[in-house]
Amino acid sequence: MDTFLQEKHHVLQRTVRAFCHREIIPIAGNIDKEARFPWEVQEKMARLGYFGIQVPAELGGAGMDTVSYITVIEEISRACAGLGLCVSVHNSVAVFPIMAFGSEAQKKKWIPSLARGEKIGAFCLTEPNAGSDASAIESTAIRDGDEYIINANKVFVTNGAIADTCLMFVRTDPDAGRRGISVVVVERGTKGFTVGEAEDLSGMRSNPVSSIRLQDCRVPVENLLGGEGRGLVIGLSALDTGRIGIAAQASGIALAALEETVKYAKQRRQFGVPIAKHQAIQMMIADMATQIDAARLLIYRAAVQKDRGNSFTQAAAMAKLYASEMSSRVTDMAVQVHGGYGYSKSYPVERYYRDARVTRIYEGTSEVHRMVIARGVLAE
Amino acid sequence: MNLHIIVCIKSVLLRVPKGRTIRTAESCELNPFDRPTLEAALWLRGRYGGSVTVLSMGPESGTSALYEAIALGADRSILICDPALAGSDTLATSTVLGAAIKTLKPFDLVFFGTRTSDSDTGHVGPQTAVQLGVPLASQVLSMALGESGLIAERKMDGVLEKVQVSLPAVITVHQTSYPPGDPPLSGIQTAFEEGTIEKWGLKELSLSPESAGEPGSPTRLLSMTPISRERKCRILTGSSEGRADKLLKILMDSGGIS
Ligand SMILES: Cc1cc2nc3c(=O)[nH]c(=O)nc-3n(C[C@H](O)[C@H](O)[C@H](O)COP(=O)(O)OP(=O)(O)OC[C@H]3O[C@@H](n4cnc5c(N)ncnc54)[C@H](O)[C@@H]3O)c2cc1C
Repeated sequence: MDTFLQEKHHVLQRTVRAFCHREIIPIAGNIDKEARFPWEVQEKMARLGYFGIQVPAELGGAGMDTVSYITVIEEISRACAGLGLCVSVHNSVAVFPIMAFGSEAQKKKWIPSLARGEKIGAFCLTEPNAGSDASAIESTAIRDGDEYIINANKVFVTNGAIADTCLMFVRTDPDAGRRGISVVVVERGTKGFTVGEAEDLSGMRSNPVSSIRLQDCRVPVENLLGGEGRGLVIGLSALDTGRIGIAAQASGIALAALEETVKYAKQRRQFGVPIAKHQAIQMMIADMATQIDAARLLIYRAAVQKDRGNSFTQAAAMAKLYASEMSSRVTDMAVQVHGGYGYSKSYPVERYYRDARVTRIYEGTSEVHRMVIARGVLAE
Repeated sequence: MNLHIIVCIKSVLLRVPKGRTIRTAESCELNPFDRPTLEAALWLRGRYGGSVTVLSMGPESGTSALYEAIALGADRSILICDPALAGSDTLATSTVLGAAIKTLKPFDLVFFGTRTSDSDTGHVGPQTAVQLGVPLASQVLSMALGESGLIAERKMDGVLEKVQVSLPAVITVHQTSYPPGDPPLSGIQTAFEEGTIEKWGLKELSLSPESAGEPGSPTRLLSMTPISRERKCRILTGSSEGRADKLLKILMDSGGIS
């Protein structure tokens, strides 16, 4: 991947990898089993700047580029996808929209503590009746003097149970359809803010994905992000960035699966030879390696386009679509190469298989991505 | 006290090479045994004030280890890189490092790791002390400044020795001494954005080509053959106690335990 990575990215990759080897990999299996968020690791990641990767130094971040961002997400996800999800969502769909659409005062208010990882961010769009169709949300923010009174019912909020600063998608104008949607930042602890039980998920179990309910929550109007009616613009722009992160997460999981598979295939013997000597196994390993690299090329392309300031919506959608489907195929092959042991929790590929699956669902399903991509292609 | 600490670091290969070695940013890293060394220097600087200069001799790909050192907090970083250095043995390496260190005068301490992960001779630190004509404390676990020099604790077989060396001195730092920290992302970003690596050749050191590289190296590497360790599996039979006794005997006979 030397075509895209500079010396800086190699050093970054190595140092993040060393951190993950020491701090995350040893506990990854357990926190999945216990569905536990590892605060002790979060604190260390926060101190190293993983929660403000692209935030400028003046606001407490590391000021890095998008290629660096995906390098960090890929490495963390390689060790533990649930933590990769935490960092990806925090950086790309919580911090980024405040950076891109927030006023100077809003940035000063929220960004430094988010960038230093003292606070964790969340993106609250999905509702029971609004998934792929984000414009169908029913949550409301009704203006009352210099406050909004918010009533919201949000589900599947990544970082839900641990988030302090939540980007809440609400209707500020119930009659304006798509143009009536706005984003208001709501802080945990506000009266009327409650977090539901964490979802008992199939994968990503170290992340406490939860529902959040706001009941007559009073929030100052200064917490409105980017103006009334701008909600969908902010949401889509955040998801463009987020998708590069989810793609990198998917490739991180696949890289881990390939690594385990190669190790296992060299050591497991059947019919008198290591199974890596069987051509059928070699074919699977060749497909895994090739598809991983193809996905990474798409991801790097999207990241480089973003760093150059070019439009990257289409490139990000393709990277997310391909990488997430690749990750499902690759982790499936990883289980296959492991045979029965791959279906048991005593080998990590079982976890990778569960973790990879959801990358085809969140931040836009594969179907929605195909719609977006086709729209782009047909419009040309 | 304003200490000037020079830390000599090496960029090593991540994996055992197969065939010809190509060193790139992707295949090299900062020698893991140098990480505690750098940490020790940064710790001393934090405690007593001063500056840390990192020095590395090696090919162009060594810059990434130096950037890593800047990311961790080093103040100045120098790569000695010259085609005439190819084939240097540990003596030639010490000659070159010694010359570079002399041009960095005044200095108080020169730190080395105890060994490297890719050649493991342990020569370079002690030999450079001889080149410089200064005292050496090797395998140092912890340090503090005393009345007249540095007080260092050294770990030896079963004993902890406390020595005092006058400054300037050369120290080889034990790998378990100062647990290395991770460079923060902002450190990496600033290192590459603002950090500079000075590049020196033999000319800058006023060294003749005869004193370095192959001409300056009395040792020649004749061959390198990977050693593969045979693994044998033996199944012990009998009662649990009988098997435990057998296992104990095998381990003792093989020198594994005593
Ligand atoms: C672990 C996890 C974390 C999540 N984190 C967050 C978060 O942090 N914030 C947040 O807001 N949401 C989050 N989500 C929600 C996620 O984004 C949604 O699940 C996703 O957008 C799909 O919505 P849905 O589940 O309601 O499915 P639906 O929209 O009901 O889709 C069901 C099926 O119908 C298909 N479909 C829907 N519409 C069309 C169409 N027009 N044409 C063709 N096919 C269509 C879909 O592709 C899918 O196959 C998370 C979900 C999970 C599982």
